[in-house]
Amino acid sequence: MIKYLVRRLLLLVPTFIGISLITYAMIRLAPGDYTTLRAGLQGELKAGAIGTEIIEQEKKLYGLDKPVIVGYWDWFKKLVVLDFGVSRKDGRPVAERIGEALPITLSLNIISMIIVYIISIPGGIVSALKKDSLYDRVSSLVLFVLYSLPSFWVGLLLLMVLSGGDYLNLFPLGGIISDWAEDFSFFDRMVNIAWHLVLPVVTLTYGGFAFLSRYTRSTMLDVVNQQYIMTARAKGLTEKRVVLVHAFRNSLVPLVTLMASILPGLLGGSVIVESIFSIPGMGMLAFEAILARDIPVIMAIASISAVLTLIGILIADILYAVVDPRIRLEARQ
Amino acid sequence: MRILNILVFGARCIALCVALHALTACGDFSSVRDPRALYIHLGSEPGHLNPITSTEAVASSINQHIYETLLDRDYDTAELIPRLAESWSISGDRLRYRFRIKKGIQWSDGVELTADDIVYSFKTIKDPKVACAPLKVYYIDVREVRKIDRYTVEFRYSTQYFRALEICGTIPIVPKHVFDNGTDFNTHKNNRFPVGTGPFRFERWDTGKRIVLVRNERYKGKAPDLHRIVYRIVAEPNIALQMVKKGEMDVMSVRAIQWVRQTNSKKFNEGFYKLQYYLPAYNYIGWNAARPLFADRRVRLAMTHLVNREAILDKLLFGIGEIVTGSSYIHSKGYDKSIKPWPFDPARARELLAEAGWRDTNGDGILDKGGKKFTFTFTMPSGSKFAERLGTIMKEDLSKAGITMDINRYEWAVFVQKLHQRDFDAVTLAWSLSWEDDPYQLWHSTQVVGGSNFCSFKNAEADDIIIRLRKEFDENRRIKMYHRFHRILHEEQPYTFLYCLPAQVVVSRRFNDVKVHLRGLNYLEWKVAAIDD
Repeated sequence: MIKYLVRRLLLLVPTFIGISLITYAMIRLAPGDYTTLRAGLQGELKAGAIGTEIIEQEKKLYGLDKPVIVGYWDWFKKLVVLDFGVSRKDGRPVAERIGEALPITLSLNIISMIIVYIISIPGGIVSALKKDSLYDRVSSLVLFVLYSLPSFWVGLLLLMVLSGGDYLNLFPLGGIISDWAEDFSFFDRMVNIAWHLVLPVVTLTYGGFAFLSRYTRSTMLDVVNQQYIMTARAKGLTEKRVVLVHAFRNSLVPLVTLMASILPGLLGGSVIVESIFSIPGMGMLAFEAILARDIPVIMAIASISAVLTLIGILIADILYAVVDPRIRLEARQ
Repeated sequence: MRILNILVFGARCIALCVALHALTACGDFSSVRDPRALYIHLGSEPGHLNPITSTEAVASSINQHIYETLLDRDYDTAELIPRLAESWSISGDRLRYRFRIKKGIQWSDGVELTADDIVYSFKTIKDPKVACAPLKVYYIDVREVRKIDRYTVEFRYSTQYFRALEICGTIPIVPKHVFDNGTDFNTHKNNRFPVGTGPFRFERWDTGKRIVLVRNERYKGKAPDLHRIVYRIVAEPNIALQMVKKGEMDVMSVRAIQWVRQTNSKKFNEGFYKLQYYLPAYNYIGWNAARPLFADRRVRLAMTHLVNREAILDKLLFGIGEIVTGSSYIHSKGYDKSIKPWPFDPARARELLAEAGWRDTNGDGILDKGGKKFTFTFTMPSGSKFAERLGTIMKEDLSKAGITMDINRYEWAVFVQKLHQRDFDAVTLAWSLSWEDDPYQLWHSTQVVGGSNFCSFKNAEADDIIIRLRKEFDENRRIKMYHRFHRILHEEQPYTFLYCLPAQVVVSRRFNDVKVHLRGLNYLEWKVAAIDD
């Protein structure tokens, strides 16, 4: 097992280098670069060839004149000492920009994820146990309808109806905290933030119900048809015990696979929800950085995502090894 | 039993209503707002607020209240007027521009502004290590800036140029004592904490949320009635308008559809002024004359005859805007109003195309010449709704005339690169202009390679006018040149000039003295109505 773990851990390093190198190369080789973009169309070329010379000067300033591999090496050397560089947009350290956006996105995503899990897993189990019943059919229909509603539409609708003031005025119009909220007490501040988060969280969660609950339903169905469940029932165990202890625990095994996507998923914000609700989170940060070709920010976000994905996969594999003896055996062989 | 059920249901409903009410009350966190604060909508967040390194329009709109320049433009006439400068003089050879600065002007931290600040700002702009390429090109012909005494500076030009006074007089000035401390100018911490001499000073910046300016008590000019200007960053225009309606914002530039459809209720008009003004800008369709298809003037003119500008203005822009025929600002003296737009005339277009050799020889409905079909691609930036719909209408209209048009959409960075590489047949874009524009950058034949003359417009007479115009200091003679140049563009049709569209702004009636000037709105003259009445 330890050998297996060490092997997996060692594999992480070359995989990360590969991912980051490809990402860097893609940004550098994509059409359009930061300096030309920033200079726009009018300014830099006003003086023709001289203007182009100035642009070249600026490219040098940002290291955009160097070959891709040299540029990547410069970036990588800094990364080793955890220096993500400076954002080109505002000249601030990338870590500081991520540090501002990340807590917002993390809290939004964790809350949404918890709600999705709390509602979907029991819903999925009940659907599986009551397969083809009216409940199963109706819940499937509702979930798929929700799944197919675009989030920008739902978000805007919620805001217009519940916050706009034309109909109801129950929630704030975007943002995550009221103006001048520093005057509030700690409790009021928390309530204020929670109040601001209601609509974004609703917009983020409703689409997730369908996927997770159908996933739980199908894994549960696989398990309840296994012989050992029949044996458990034949032994005279209560239905509650059969379902919650024997069936549910084993149906969780495939859910472990989702681990790999949960960690990086927590970090990546939703551009749509963040832009509708004026939330300065990771989604907007990444989106703006990509459009502006702000390489240090893009690389930092991509690297963090890559590391989290790799760790997620590793955790999933370890959990597999823990719950499934066959994997341990293969590793030993 | 049934009655009991109804009672229980009723009780639950009441409980739910009470809970909802409690929650609503809980959500009312509106703190006491300073009535003298002006809340303005910002659609995007600037990177920083340094007037030298920032190129964003949003940053300029904020900086104009924090920083000042030697000269300014009058709000009504757009003529150059003194601001930081007390007086100025121009040498006989028009190569030296000397400015005398007002004494006693203080930066918002209390230090006096002197000639050193201007010399430092100029040196910074010229510094290769400072990332301000768009600004650098304006100062290419400025050889040096010399300090004559504590309050006098002199700009030395290497060649005569008719806009030199404006360029020298509007150089962005930053405080030397703040920035000249050995740290990197591009990433200096004061790029986000500006220190200026203007009527407002920077107060706070909540990333992604708001930027707040507060009245500068050290300001020597007339103090504004407003105590604060709060810029609220809201990316989604529908939500921003909803905030305006709710009273959370006072000023917002709205889109055409919002102007026409969403701001017409009686209630809205009672609460808000709806103001329009034309800033120097226009949009156009550019035909790449370097491609054989559009090298012929007759073909370009035919294309203009095939673009139904009146109908597009009515359908897509609700009839708000003016069709333009040339490259100068439509309300400037250089714009020749006697030139009328080419009409939508498919019959004339077909004649012109036939003259140029484009006929449908094989009866397949598509024009051809020398075995080649009349097919081209229309390049546009993705995300532009106007361009998207313009393209669709054009495609249909052109197909009726036997022309096949494909549409290529590119993300902005790629679009810009395509233009630089001249890799397009036809393109749609907009230019913003100066109050009096220099056509050299866009239209001189030397700018075909490496400049902004993307459509490869070459005309010997136009070249001559452009060069003479740059050294002509007599306004009347310059206007004549502009008019002749305008006529050449109209005849040659390197672009199909489309529209000059107005800025459309809604402003809360909380304020009095809200006037529309040639340059737009001037917050400094606004009074808070509720308090003063």
